[in-house]
Amino acid sequence: MLSTLQPPRSLTLLPFRRLHGSKTIASLASASSSPTLDAAASVSPPPQSQILATRRSLLSGETTASEIAKSHLSRIRLTEPHLKCFLHVSETVLKEAQEIDRRISKGEEVGPLAGVMIGVKDNICTEGMPSTAASRILEHYRPPFDATAVKRIKEMGGIVVGKTNMDEFGMGSTTEASAFQVTANPWDLTRVPGGSSGGSAAAVAARQCMVSLGSDTGGSVRQPASFCGVVGLKPTYGRVSRFGLMAYASSLDVIGCFGSTVADAGMLLHAVSGYDRFDSTSSKQDVPEFESQFLSMDSFESKPLKGVKVGLIRETLEEGVDSGVRSATQEAASHLEALGCVVTEVSLPSFSLGLPAYYVIASSESSSNLSRYDGVRYGNQVMADELNKLYECSRGQGFGGEVKMRILMGTYALSAGYYDAYYKRAQQVRTLIRKDFKAALDQNDILISPAAPSAAYKIGEKKDDPLAMYAGDIMTVNVNLAGLPAIVLPCGLVEGGPSGLPVGLQMVGAAFDEEKLLKVGHIFEQTLKGSGFVPPALPNVA
Amino acid sequence: MATRALLAVLSASPPRMIQTKVSTFSSSSSLSFQRHSRRIARCFSSDTNPSVLQPPDVSRLAETARISLTPSEIEECGAKIRQVIHWFGQLQQVDVSCVEPAIRAEMEGGNLREDAPETFENRDSIRASIPSFDEVYLKVPKVLNKE
Repeated sequence: MLSTLQPPRSLTLLPFRRLHGSKTIASLASASSSPTLDAAASVSPPPQSQILATRRSLLSGETTASEIAKSHLSRIRLTEPHLKCFLHVSETVLKEAQEIDRRISKGEEVGPLAGVMIGVKDNICTEGMPSTAASRILEHYRPPFDATAVKRIKEMGGIVVGKTNMDEFGMGSTTEASAFQVTANPWDLTRVPGGSSGGSAAAVAARQCMVSLGSDTGGSVRQPASFCGVVGLKPTYGRVSRFGLMAYASSLDVIGCFGSTVADAGMLLHAVSGYDRFDSTSSKQDVPEFESQFLSMDSFESKPLKGVKVGLIRETLEEGVDSGVRSATQEAASHLEALGCVVTEVSLPSFSLGLPAYYVIASSESSSNLSRYDGVRYGNQVMADELNKLYECSRGQGFGGEVKMRILMGTYALSAGYYDAYYKRAQQVRTLIRKDFKAALDQNDILISPAAPSAAYKIGEKKDDPLAMYAGDIMTVNVNLAGLPAIVLPCGLVEGGPSGLPVGLQMVGAAFDEEKLLKVGHIFEQTLKGSGFVPPALPNVA
Repeated sequence: MATRALLAVLSASPPRMIQTKVSTFSSSSSLSFQRHSRRIARCFSSDTNPSVLQPPDVSRLAETARISLTPSEIEECGAKIRQVIHWFGQLQQVDVSCVEPAIRAEMEGGNLREDAPETFENRDSIRASIPSFDEVYLKVPKVLNKE
């Protein structure tokens, strides 16, 4: 039913709306906060797939890949000084686009992602392009191979626009822990985009690229998606090969997808999913054709989600969650009911234990995984007259504060005599969490919760308070511990910034049932009144 | 911000939080607090004693992890690490005596590839990343026969 989709937006056809006259992005950064919650989401039509728009416009000859590439590069040049989403912009974007145009003009086949502009998080290896995980210890490092996900994107004609900023090695929730730059939230430049995949989320929100890859160890795709008003999809553990993803916590890490629509995130996921012999944890389960879920609004029945059982996780709406976030989530639940879902409250009693268990496991595994960065085989080396000194100085000067802290915490938790008390115990808590999720998903098709306890907060607000930062991950870490798929999509705006801040709804599904999440997510997105989460503070490229 | 309030819930009184949270799954909202409490009473472990766990010695940890830290880093990092480790302590009060650890999400096995060497073609690129290199050797400070 793809052909029935309305012509999607493209950068050249539909430039960003100017909600503030001729104000520039810089002037908006310092503008006083005057919440106008209806401003950004009042009359927009439902968001439309940029991947399908690109496919259609290229094949019909309406536009060329080169024009699309130039338009995006132009937007990047204009917005990047304010946003700082990219650590590196590819020098071969135009050349790759021209090659696609050449093939189309000769009547040759092109892949399903031909001409699609894709950002890639900097901890995912790209051959010949810097891949630093936003760490000094890997500054200037260029991997000799592509990650499997990147390889598949390229084989399908996708164009890697550049490498996106992140918290160093994925350790953070704001992208402030990048060794190189702080990314701003396109909705309010004084706020964080979330993290750790903040660059990937902000780049999609700002339409610097159409879709992007991120990684999600404890919420690093979903929380920035919520903060930036885009769709973030965390697949089931094992759905996407991790080969070429710089390991942080191997039992939790997954590569995830960002898009401005559910359809885009789903199609990107389809492109990168599937078994890979280079990752023994990748699954041989079939990857369904997700596109069949993205029906046109015209084909929706009056209750398109009739009978779908939805569990609202009670513990995610308790004390400590912003009232605006709570309201937006409850309204989202009402919207699902209006679509025909049966929404009931469910309890996951082990829910709050997930946060400390997650940080024990992630820190422990990071202390092992990051031992490979020793300054000998790649990355920055600090010369010393003794080998251990070389390791210590290279790592001491190469790692940032948060990374050092987590490695040391992990070293402590794995110390002789402490393993049972911390790492093993956290793994036992993981079993409890898995059981709770399984029981809840035996009775429900999907579970819903906020994606984060608050909307985007100010840059610097939580930088020196690790526990305050960690607390923000409470909605997402359990899903990684259980290895389940989840999608976050914008569901409302709360006060803050020049024109409100987006709030994300998280939907969690059973293992390898991304299809259901995409179906429910797509219908939710297309029917949400006043949808169209485009940051208002961006200048017009056209 | 609200997350600060959340933090207060999470860190201020871990034993109380665990008392209200640790139980088996319930899909209804009718679970009474007494039922929670009875379960908790059963769930408290008798075989863990948090007091035997020593607080972290940051200098020693840094040496083990091969990371050089400046005195100010030891002070700053140490305070944060002690704070987080203390917060980890709430896990000691969960009864996990009958619970198997889960090393990761459930997944199919048997996906290991054959353990056979393969030639990686792009060797020059690997070599180009090595900070110190001499012919076919990585160069590091002398480790044998040191004077």
